[in-house]
Amino acid sequence: MAGAGGSGEIIAVEGVGKTYGSGEQALTALIDVSFAVREGQFITLVGPSGCGKSTLLQILAGLVPASTGRVLIDGLQVTGPSPGKVGVMFQDAWLLPWKTAVENVEFPLALRRVAAAERRKRALPLLDLVGLSSFAHRYPDELSGGMRQRVAIARCLVQEPRVLLMDEPFAALDEQTRTRMGSELLQIWETSGGTVVFVTHGLTEAIYLADTVFVMGTRPGRIIARITVPLPRPRTIDMIGSEAFGRLRNEIWHLIAEVRA
Amino acid sequence: MGATVTGWLTRLAPLVFVALLAAVWETASRTGLVDPRLLPPLSEVLRVLSGLLQDERFRGDLAITLSEIAVAFAVVGPLGLAVGFFLGENLPAYRMFAPALHLLLSVPKSIFLPVFIFAFGIGFLQKVIFAVTLAFFIVVLSGVAAARSVPVGLVTAARSFGATRVQIYLHIYLPAMEPLIIEGLRMGLIFTVTGVLLAEMYGSPRGIGRVIFAWGEMFRMPELFAGVLLVVTVTIVCNELMRAVEDARKARRRGLR
Repeated sequence: MAGAGGSGEIIAVEGVGKTYGSGEQALTALIDVSFAVREGQFITLVGPSGCGKSTLLQILAGLVPASTGRVLIDGLQVTGPSPGKVGVMFQDAWLLPWKTAVENVEFPLALRRVAAAERRKRALPLLDLVGLSSFAHRYPDELSGGMRQRVAIARCLVQEPRVLLMDEPFAALDEQTRTRMGSELLQIWETSGGTVVFVTHGLTEAIYLADTVFVMGTRPGRIIARITVPLPRPRTIDMIGSEAFGRLRNEIWHLIAEVRA
Repeated sequence: MGATVTGWLTRLAPLVFVALLAAVWETASRTGLVDPRLLPPLSEVLRVLSGLLQDERFRGDLAITLSEIAVAFAVVGPLGLAVGFFLGENLPAYRMFAPALHLLLSVPKSIFLPVFIFAFGIGFLQKVIFAVTLAFFIVVLSGVAAARSVPVGLVTAARSFGATRVQIYLHIYLPAMEPLIIEGLRMGLIFTVTGVLLAEMYGSPRGIGRVIFAWGEMFRMPELFAGVLLVVTVTIVCNELMRAVEDARKARRRGLR
């Protein structure tokens, strides 16, 4: 990982660790995590619950400070949220319930005091991109879980981020919706050319989406393997049933199981 | 269609109830079912009330009571909410003060009225201080609940968009807390009115509470009921106004999931 900031490297994680509390009760959530992501890559962090994958993502997002090490995004050390450069998505869409879908998409721009007309002009095409143009003026409680996450995707994209950090964004959705959302996300990613770091505990989802899968283990949370997915792009749903996919899935499953045992 | 009819009936129900109560009151007194010396007919009470409202002295008492309520509410509303918000946001402080808070909430504060008189006399200030004391705890607890009702995830998401602290309070906290803030203020107003009237009845040179109490002592039932009717009406109207605001806002901005 030496030589961070080299050609096309957008994210560099250098010896990052996270400890909660101190003394006897100190809890090490993450220990010595290092990796780099090239611009335009789609990587997934997969692991059992408690492996610190969400914590790692929050550190990348600048929402939680690392106890040791540092994170560089686009060559700059992360000390707090980097809006405009990094968009973050969570397991829950966290839409403002008192704002309509389009107002929610506009919200990050409103915080930056972008004029109302300009905001609308940028938000509507993105709602269209996620297939929700006819729901622009609906409130979140009138939308399904999948629709709410689509609004959240549009709300991320409106900030024109170079990096998308996604913390199990589809975990609360039913399997069909989850798979479809994954395909749509891939389409958006392939056309926009951004970099995505995607946290999940689903092996299928992790392999289907990623160029590289980082497998994480527990106690303490750390990266135990880095697996390149040899499947071609664009990915299709049918690939999930292929033999190569199955072998990869098995391999990761054993990696995680061995560490746990 | 059926839903609309039911909706209208639900809205009319309180009015129907009031009309029924008025009719029962009037007939019970007129027919002698209830001793008219104890409960004068409603029409008689209303006639006395309209006369009182012309009366300079009575209007002065009314003005004093209303201004005591206004001042006390203007103090206890912001103060209670601010303290409540601080406690709701600050876990160590909440842990420290919550037991005392709940204890003090359950203490019947009217029992301390003599102490308030010794400490602050029987004037305007004492009424305000007692009403503030009575309403304070309920408003604080509403403030705590309001602060706690803000979903952490909304705040985290806003932080990731680069929201400043001020923006988070303005665009996340305030709208998210609004329903509980209005509810807290409504409770606060009810307690403030009760506090002022109690303090006036217990010991005061002026004010509606004092006047009503005196009429009771003198067995002047028409005047007594006229005063009670006025206070009850004003309180209910204020309460319903605040609730209407609450409902209108809620309908416009939807509830939190």
